[in-house]
Amino acid sequence: MNNQSRAVLLIPFAFILLYMVYSMGPLFWLLISSFKGRMDLFTMPPKIFFTPDWSGYQAVFGVGAAKDTAAAIGVVDALINSIVCAFSGTFLAVLFGTLAGYSASRFDFPGKGDFMFFVLSTRMVPAIAMMVFFHSMFSELGLADTQIGVIIINTFINVGLATWIMKGFFDGVPREVEAIALINGYSRFYAFRKLVLPMVKGGIAATAGFCFIFAWNEFAFASILTTTKAKTLPVKISAAMGSTGVEWTQICAAGVVLVIPVVIFFYLIRRHLLMGMTFGVLGKSS
Amino acid sequence: MIRNFFRKPLSDRVLCLTFLMPCLLLLVFMIAYPFVTLVSNSFYRFSALRSAQPAEWVGLENYVFLLTDFELWERFIFTGRFVLVTVTLQFFLGICVAYILQRDFKARDVIFTMLMIPMMLCPIAVGFLWRYMFNSEWGVINYLVSLITGAKVNWLSVTDNALWAVVITDTWIWTPFVILLATAAFRGVPKSMYEAAEVDGASALFRFFNITLPLSAPILFIALLLRLIDSFKQYDLFFALTGGGPGSSTETVSFTLGKTAFSYFYTGEASALAVILLIIIIGMSLIFVRYLTSLAERS
Repeated sequence: MNNQSRAVLLIPFAFILLYMVYSMGPLFWLLISSFKGRMDLFTMPPKIFFTPDWSGYQAVFGVGAAKDTAAAIGVVDALINSIVCAFSGTFLAVLFGTLAGYSASRFDFPGKGDFMFFVLSTRMVPAIAMMVFFHSMFSELGLADTQIGVIIINTFINVGLATWIMKGFFDGVPREVEAIALINGYSRFYAFRKLVLPMVKGGIAATAGFCFIFAWNEFAFASILTTTKAKTLPVKISAAMGSTGVEWTQICAAGVVLVIPVVIFFYLIRRHLLMGMTFGVLGKSS
Repeated sequence: MIRNFFRKPLSDRVLCLTFLMPCLLLLVFMIAYPFVTLVSNSFYRFSALRSAQPAEWVGLENYVFLLTDFELWERFIFTGRFVLVTVTLQFFLGICVAYILQRDFKARDVIFTMLMIPMMLCPIAVGFLWRYMFNSEWGVINYLVSLITGAKVNWLSVTDNALWAVVITDTWIWTPFVILLATAAFRGVPKSMYEAAEVDGASALFRFFNITLPLSAPILFIALLLRLIDSFKQYDLFFALTGGGPGSSTETVSFTLGKTAFSYFYTGEASALAVILLIIIIGMSLIFVRYLTSLAERS
């Protein structure tokens, strides 16, 4: 290999390397900042090696030295809210989406195209535009600042995605499966439950993974609908930012707590990323 | 289609409707109903804070006020600038990375998976993380900048820099999306096309612009539309990074809407602005759907 072609190979390599620093650097920085004590946090040049300090995590979980102190942001309540609401919302969205996706895949009903566009609009509509209305609707229904309110929101933001992705997975199951069951005298519901559903198990899991991540990350709706009791983790972090004298160690530790479940779920569903990120309109797996 | 529908056995029709019902009811409850109320609210002057005070019918006044408001047009121009810069940057970076990662090497799949992580993270938390790194006194970014240029940049307190700060963050989150779709598009190009070009002695650059890019245009166009819609409605990052400041110079239209609705509580006016925003987004979505259907028909 001559020098020129080696140089030609080096440019893409350097480019990828630079991009990786840009892409992974901030996550690395988040992780190490969450272990920095106040002294190490603001030194210039920034330290990469330092004695780890657990005060951030102690403050986040309200344990150890930070137990019952006012300075600690204490996100345990918010963490529980987030877990309950994200899982419940995911369950409902996947349930509704699976049913609707099956109908959309197997039947030609009047207005099907419009229905699918209408479903798609959950992704397109800016949250803040709908908030203007939701705000008063949820207060009137007594759902403001309740877990049920957040669960409804988490179901709503995901049901369209779940419908589109599940339709894609059902499209991949041959219609003959039900045809044979029907000929043998089984009802269509039986065929759906006992034959088709087991065949899309992987799809349901992937859909649930996406719904969970989006529900877990949801901020715009939750920030306006929850004020005290039902605050989710992103809202809690945002509120801690608003107060004077931001405790960056705590914020970073809370950020790590927020990020870890996402990375785990992301790892589990990575093969279906293309489908999940394009609303299921492109490809069944990447 | 309709006749087919009724010719099916009854149980199928019942099943189909039962299965659709939960999804449909939820969406009607959460989109159609709010939308109707939103439109009707936009013709009134009232505030959600003072619900005891009767709403006053003002017809199109809210719309006329908004559309003749110089400040709002500035917000639209700023939003447009943001969308243009950020989407261009994401496509440039995304296509380059996807193109390079086509080459097979050992760690490719691991690298690819890792690079996808940013777009799955919570945008508001990402915004705070970058705000932490963009700090002009002790932020790590300014440290790196000062290593190279010897001077520090006031990232978040100068309008143009603040725009760039948000662009850098938005690009960080969404370039993976472009990488993902561009990779899918590049993989769809038939190998035989490249082999033919190789025989003709076409250069790599020529092959990229005359084979790869045209043949992956449909998927890239889908990516472009999704990115345009998403960045047009970007709210979280501005909230986390700049808070719309300095002044109101980095407010996007969504941000202005949020302020009108939940800081000033001009509910009627905010409803009108929400309707305008929705019309623009629905228009863009319609192009997206039309294009998808035309693609499906072609194949």
